[in-house]
Amino acid sequence: MSDFSARGQRLLGVRRAIPLPQPSRIIVGFLLAGLIGLTAYFLPLFQSASTPVVTSGGGLINPVSGPTEPFTVLLLGSDDDSKFAGDQFNTQSMILIRVDPINKQATMMSIPRDLWVPIEGQRYTGKISTAYQTGGVQATIATVESNFHVRIDDYIWIGLAGLVRVIDTLGGVNLIVTNPVMDDFYPADINTSSPYGYYRVALLPGPVHLDGVHALQYVRSRHGDLRGDFARSERQQQLLLAMKAQSKHINVADFPDIAKALNGELKTSITLERARQLYSVMDQFDSAHIKRILLGPPYTSEGWAGSESVVYPSWGQILPLISQYFPQ
Amino acid sequence: MKGVTYLVLLLAMAGFGFGVYRIAGALKSDGTHVQRPTSTYAQAVPGKMFVAQGGAIYRFQNGTFTQITKDAGWTQPSSSPDGTQLVAVQRHQNYSDVFVLTDSGRIVQQLTNLQSPSVEGNHWAFLPRFSSDGSRVFFAYDDKVPGVYEVDLTILSMPAGRPGRGVVWTVPNPYTGGDTDPVPLHDGGLVYTKYSIDNQSAVHSQVWLTTRAGAAGTPLTRTEEDCAQPAVSPDGRSIAMVCRHGELQSTELVVATFDQSSGTLGPETVLVQGQLSASPAFSPDGQTIAFLAPVQLGGTFQLWTVPATASPSPSEARPITQSVGLDSTSAPVWD
Repeated sequence: MSDFSARGQRLLGVRRAIPLPQPSRIIVGFLLAGLIGLTAYFLPLFQSASTPVVTSGGGLINPVSGPTEPFTVLLLGSDDDSKFAGDQFNTQSMILIRVDPINKQATMMSIPRDLWVPIEGQRYTGKISTAYQTGGVQATIATVESNFHVRIDDYIWIGLAGLVRVIDTLGGVNLIVTNPVMDDFYPADINTSSPYGYYRVALLPGPVHLDGVHALQYVRSRHGDLRGDFARSERQQQLLLAMKAQSKHINVADFPDIAKALNGELKTSITLERARQLYSVMDQFDSAHIKRILLGPPYTSEGWAGSESVVYPSWGQILPLISQYFPQ
Repeated sequence: MKGVTYLVLLLAMAGFGFGVYRIAGALKSDGTHVQRPTSTYAQAVPGKMFVAQGGAIYRFQNGTFTQITKDAGWTQPSSSPDGTQLVAVQRHQNYSDVFVLTDSGRIVQQLTNLQSPSVEGNHWAFLPRFSSDGSRVFFAYDDKVPGVYEVDLTILSMPAGRPGRGVVWTVPNPYTGGDTDPVPLHDGGLVYTKYSIDNQSAVHSQVWLTTRAGAAGTPLTRTEEDCAQPAVSPDGRSIAMVCRHGELQSTELVVATFDQSSGTLGPETVLVQGQLSASPAFSPDGQTIAFLAPVQLGGTFQLWTVPATASPSPSEARPITQSVGLDSTSAPVWD
């Protein structure tokens, strides 16, 4: 009995060397575990934030305005398939957006990709879509700023595959296909080793719910439309409005999926904090208060520069429009 | 014993952390979750309907859906006048074909053969409808020259159940996408949607009427109304359609009286507004209209019904399904 007691005491003594954790430590342990769980969930977001997609460009980008001041963002969209080397893409889509947070008004203006302008930093005149190919985003922004006499606060560049993935992450978009979109030569250049192929596209008119691939077809097709690239620009603006409407459904728990979708397909001067501010501003906007501008005739005219089909600007018409809707 | 306690605590903490991870994931928005119709139940409607989702055609009867075709690009069914057959589209990557099916989905006849070895040699056929006597099938067809950029849909009719040549009914405006939504009338005429682009580069859709193949049609609606997707009531005296009035994110579902002899529409009554309504279809008795629209902003398209003759009131439109995500360019068939 006494031996047992002594052994028991020793055992107890040994156990006393490992005290039970205090309740506060247990709580802290659970909190830490929860924090680790949250960190793991939001890891893609943190990774994208730490990835150097934020390009200050050595003072190229102007200091960000406060959330109450009007600001201008240049949206750029590129084919980024294997036809292009490295970062030398054409910008197939260029949309200049000015947001006035106080008056809750916004203007979006599509810049024709074939607009024939002096390219900043180069000694030639060319299609504005080639500025990115020759001088990256810096040359693109400088070219738009110098030709259009605007100040650009921020830019966002997105690749086609990223756009598809983001729309799929949003759960698709709802929009009205205004007329049959028919294209017998739609580029088959995504997720393929042969980027010069093509296939047929037919999007029937009416209200539709489009996934990423079909939304891209909608904004990229141009061959079967009388208005050519201008029709495409109009549809791109329409898609932006549809994505804005769709984004009302997302919450902070969706951010990691969106970050994963954009991995490698997004470059921007906008920080996460700035993006949060912009999102809250844009969320208050009614689409009816968004002015949409296309630079068709009389602002531009189609023609030829040598063997190239180009769009000539009529600056006498364009610049007053810029003064009105994009005042500095 | 305390070691066990520590182990249990550590496991509990790990489980808690994993639980937080899973809960965060569960908080993701789920506004566009789509179910197969066969895994859902819906409020029953009189008669039977056919709808399309994800490349398959479903029969909806007594509140349950039955899949009648494989998931193989099937869409846009329409029923024969006696209700025993369907005509539908099977869509592939670069072409589509029109088939006659039984109402249980068995192929009876392949009406078109539009596949080609070259990409641009293929053709599209969409939106087929039987003529009122069931002898012909009307559909939108890209009557084009291979290798050129212009691809516009025109309305074509072909004999059903026997060999014969197609007849071109309409001449589309070039480079607009063309003419769609053929609805053959009892008297042999045709109602359809025609697209145009004006001098300001704005796209318009109008519901048109033509009395015979190749005849110059007449518009039933004005350009600024942007109406499309017409459905004619069983008695031929009303037309339901969707109009967007220049809007890009909402439509109105309207109904108007229709006088075939004079080729005119009466005043329009708005049945549903502020939604993304699409593809209306009349019930067999003409008293109700089925249509497709999202239940919530940004959601997928669901089946709805609304009285065809009631005074306009948003509360009178009711969703029949909630999460099936139907093909919005494929109007419900209501027999």
